[in-house]
Order: sequence, then structure tokens, then C-alpha cells
Amino acid sequence: MRATKGTTMTGPAISVSGLRFTYGALEAVKGISFDVAPGEILGFLGPNGAGKSTTIKMLTGQLRPSGGGARVLGIDVSTDDPELQARIGVCFEEKNLYLNMSAKENLEFFASLYGIKDPDADGVLRRVGLADRASDRVKTFSKGMRQRMMISRAFINSPDVLFLDEPTDGLDPATAAAIRTTIQEEADRGVAVLLTTHDMFEADQLSDRVAFLNAGEIVALDTPENLKLRYGSRSVKVRLREGDGIREETWPLDDAAAATRLGALMTSPDLLTMHTEEATLEHIFIRLTGRGLAG
Amino acid sequence: MLRKDLALGPRSPLFLYAITLPVVLTAVFQLAFGSLFEPEPRLAIVDDGGSALTAAVQDRGGIELTVLDGAAELRRAVEANDVDVGLVLPAGFDEAVRSGEQPPLELYVSGESYASNRAILSVTILDLVREIEGGTPPVAVQLRQSGEAGLPLAIRLVPVLVMYALFVAGAFLPASSLVDEKVHGTLTALLVTPARMSEIVTAKAALGALMAFVMSIVTLLLNDSLGGNWPDVLAVVLLGAVFASLLGLIIGLLAKDGAMLFTIMKSSGILLFGPVIFYLFPDWPQWIARIFPTYWAIDPIWRVAVLGDGLGDVWGSMVIAVGLGLVLVAVVVRLSRRTLAQLGTAA
Ligand SMILES: Nc1ncnc2c1ncn2[C@@H]1O[C@H](COP(=O)(O)OP(=O)(O)O)[C@@H](O)[C@H]1O
Ligand SMILES: [Mg+2]
Repeated sequence: MRATKGTTMTGPAISVSGLRFTYGALEAVKGISFDVAPGEILGFLGPNGAGKSTTIKMLTGQLRPSGGGARVLGIDVSTDDPELQARIGVCFEEKNLYLNMSAKENLEFFASLYGIKDPDADGVLRRVGLADRASDRVKTFSKGMRQRMMISRAFINSPDVLFLDEPTDGLDPATAAAIRTTIQEEADRGVAVLLTTHDMFEADQLSDRVAFLNAGEIVALDTPENLKLRYGSRSVKVRLREGDGIREETWPLDDAAAATRLGALMTSPDLLTMHTEEATLEHIFIRLTGRGLAG
Repeated sequence: MLRKDLALGPRSPLFLYAITLPVVLTAVFQLAFGSLFEPEPRLAIVDDGGSALTAAVQDRGGIELTVLDGAAELRRAVEANDVDVGLVLPAGFDEAVRSGEQPPLELYVSGESYASNRAILSVTILDLVREIEGGTPPVAVQLRQSGEAGLPLAIRLVPVLVMYALFVAGAFLPASSLVDEKVHGTLTALLVTPARMSEIVTAKAALGALMAFVMSIVTLLLNDSLGGNWPDVLAVVLLGAVFASLLGLIIGLLAKDGAMLFTIMKSSGILLFGPVIFYLFPDWPQWIARIFPTYWAIDPIWRVAVLGDGLGDVWGSMVIAVGLGLVLVAVVVRLSRRTLAQLGTAA
């Protein structure tokens, strides 16, 4: 299974073109196209209802596309091919674990579905920090622990492609950070990762490239840096002493007048601090779609 | 997959319910309708003169006979309802009868005994006394059976109990397991692995059939109704178990959640228990039972396991049951496809 990675895989791990899905009359995904390379993390950033989950469901065989097509590891996703399913890992938005089984039993059972005789359930649980709870029933787990279980289950078959639907949604910062680290480790091993989120920090931090998804359409797709370069305006925030108080000035960086003013300020004895402020992905999202990421 | 279901099973209350139910029901019914294991009328005799009547009772069979030493002991046994009827035969009783003396005969009857047992015993005793007298009976009695071989209610209840075992273990267990997987979304998780819907459904059916098989055999054993021929009994019970598990799959595939499952189970109760009611009421027109598809699965069990028939006597029913089973399989396949298609769009 592993042998295919990097060596024989030449094309993209995920290749989507003109993909559409309609729920009855509602067009949830409106003909989107993108590729994900092996070892790449593509972040799908968009508010609730943007069509992120619907896209993942189509790519993992849960929904049949209404139009367009997609290949994962070179296999058409609408063929419902067990060979493809053997090589992908999925983390669902809803936590769907066997609550009456222990953490280890959950993993071992799913491993058995992949025909894995001797799964390293303990190793996988260690990676998500659940090694000491391996034999406890998932029923007794907190929300964050269950989410970590979801991630570990997606890893159990050492997949070549990972689909992660909001993997850190609603988690405390420490747990979220731990999960992001394991996702990054997978990508470093050469796994292609498609990750959805409505958290701009997560998208920024984790993704090699980010796709802005709004109302079923990709409105921008690039590296976080390029997105900021292209759409964001950086600014400089200056703090000055003024009498007994402090005054703040903000100057856009791509402004000629700003350059003159800032040059003058550099030598001023009243200057306290001066730092650039980067546009966030959320700012750019709002600029492109007229709406924020919340709700 | 089946191993997982079997491992998970004991952790669900339903599983325990399925296992204990036949035992509990058997116990309840035996208490309510009389013991299955002592169905014979019980007669105690004090025989002071070596009467031929005592030997004749023994020969006739069908009566549990106790010979006691004294009238006091006999009265105690009757009072305690250890026997239904007690009879004291004084010395010289036989001679007195033969000489036409009409000697008095003391019968003690237990107040708690069944009227049917009293009747059987008194008629039998009078009949035997007439035999001793050597006279010819004034009438020629012709026996005509009406009803299903005149079986006691306790026996006719066995199909109801077996149906319960089949229904709870064979149908309810896989149905609720399937609904559980739907409600908790684990079915979706299974389906993005190489596991196929057909494998998942087959594993559930196997679980149901296995449990139904075991529990039906246990129920038959508890009710002392395992017929004569073991392989034949196993064959008819296996058929019933598979039939029940197919019904369970259909119910499980149709139900979207637990509440809907219970609604369907309740309304399908008549379908499942319709035919076995007719075993309880042999006077009802029995052909009506045959309208129920489940009749064809339970009838071979009734006839082979309870009545002791062979497979040769029930093959007609079995062929019909297999045919209906194939129809159920087709329905399961259709519903599986539908479920698969709906799963992705279920919110
Ligand atoms: N089962 C469904 N039936 C009807 N509409 C749905 C269903 N699931 C999602 N939708 C609609 O499709 C759109 C995209 O939903 P979804 O893919 O879940 O968005 P996201 O994952 O980005 O929050 C939304 O408008 C949502 O209301
Ligand atoms: Mg979603």
C-alpha cells in the first residue's frame, strides 16, 4: 500500500473538475475544480453551509456527484471502488464511534475492515495522546478525546489521502494544536490532506494552499502568503508619545504618502512602537465574498 | 464484522433480554397453565386385598399411580394435593364386585386438583371396576378426537414461546443493531472502508439467525419439546431462524431511528404472532393461519419439534418458507440499496 506513495504516484492525489452537487433544488456545490498533490495540505475555508462537507462526502463515496468528476489516487470516486477506500482515511464532522467499545477495540475493528491483521492501535493512540485510555470505553471519553479518536481512526490504515472534515471544531486550543501536529506529520510522510475548517488561523497555519469556499463556489485558491499578497493590504501601526498620552496611527503599506510619513517618524523621538499588521484570511474572505466566516 | 457484533451484543440490554426472555416466559407460562412436566392425572390407592384394579391402572398408563399403605396417609396426600384423587380398596373388594354386591368405594378428591384430572380418574376407575365385574358395558363408546390432537394448552403454547425467541433474537436484535449503526453514524464510517453494505447486512443477519437458532433450541429444550429426530429439528429451527433474521433486516432497514423501529415492531407483531395464536385455539378455522407468511416458518417447527413429525411430513411448508425467504432476500437487497443512497443525504 505504502509503495505507491511518492514513487509511482506522479499526478495529483486528488483531482477535481467541475464537481457539482444538488440536494433537491438546492445547489450545494457549484462546479468546483482543484488538485491536491501528495504531501500537500489543502485547506477548505468557508462558513457553515458553504459546501465543504458535501464536497468531502462526494470525494469519499458517500454522495454521488450530480455533475463533473473527481479522481482520488487516479480512481474515479463514483465507482465505489474498495481498492480506493482501502487507501483513504476519513474523519467525519459528526463523531461516529462505537461508544460501547474501548478505544483500542474501535481501532482494531476498523483495522480488520481493511484486512490489517496486526494493527498498531496502541501506537496510533499514543500519537493522539490517548494511549493511557486505550482500554476504556469511548462512552466515557470527553468531546476532545472523542475527536482525537476520530483522527486516530482515520490514520489506522496508513492512508495515502486524508479527508478531514473540521477536525478541530470546538476543541480547546491545546487539543487542537496537538491534532494539527499529527496532521502535519502525516503530510510530511507524503499523505495528501484535504481539510475543511471555518477557522482562519487553522487554515493559515496548517495549509500549504487554501481554497476559499463560499456558497458552493471556490472564490480563491492559493497559498496563504499569495492570498495575502494579492488581496490583503498590509498596514503599519505606529504608537507615538503625545504630551502625557499615546497616539496611534495606522498607515497602509502600499501608499506613497505613507512611505514619506513613516520615514519621518522613524527618526522621531516620540516614536514608541511600529509594527506591520498582516491582513488575516478572514479579512480577505470578507473582501472577496462580502461575508465573514462565522455562522 | 459478525465477531464485532457478537462482542458488542452482550453490552446491550436488548441482548440480555433476548437471552433471558424464553426462560422467563417458559417459567411464567408453566406457572400459569400448569406444569408441562407432570401433565398426567395423579391417583393414589390403598389396596388392602391385592385388587386387580391396582394392576389394571398400572397397565392402562397415562395415570401417575402411587400405592400407599393406609387411609390416613392417603388422606394426607390428597389434602396436600400431592395427588388428585385417592382411592381406598378394602380387602375382598374384587370378590364383592363379582358377586354383584355393589360394595362402597371411598374416593378422596383434592380440592385443588384440576376438574379434568378428576373426571379422567373417576371415569377410568368406574370403567376398570366394570372390567372386574366381567359384565359387558351397556353402550359401545366410540372415541372421536376434535381439535388438534387434543393437546394440552401448555403444549400449544410452545409455538408462541418459540416465536418469541425467534422474534426477539432473530428479528429484533439485528434490526436494532442496524438502526443503532444508522443513528450513531457508524454505518457511514463502515461504508468509507472497503467493507460493503452487503457484508454489513449479512453480518447482522448471521447474528440474528445464530441467536434465534440458539434461543429457539433452548426454548424447545426448556419446554421438553425437541421431538424425536434431532437433525430434523435442527433443520426446521434453522429455517425459522433465517426467516426471522430476514424479517429483522427489513425492519432495521426501514426504520430510521429507534422510535420508528419500535413502531414498526409493534405493528408487525400481528404478522409475527398471528399464526401462533391459532395453535392456542384449535377451534378457530386453521386455514386463516396460513395467510401469514410466518406460518410457513413456524409450522415445520411445530410439527417436527413439538409433534414429532419428520422432515418428510413438512417439506411442503418448508418449500413455501424457502420461497418466501427468497422474496425477503430480494426485498432486503432493494432496501439496502435505498438505504445506501439515502445515507449520504441524511442530515
Ligand atoms: N442532507 C441535506 N439535505 C438538504 N440540504 C443539505 C443537506 N446537507 C447539506 N445541505 C445544504 O447544502 C449546503 C452545504 O452544506 P454543507 O456541505 O454541509 O456545508 P458545510 O460543510 O460547508 O457547512 C447548505 O446549504 C446545507 O444547508
Ligand atoms: Mg460541514
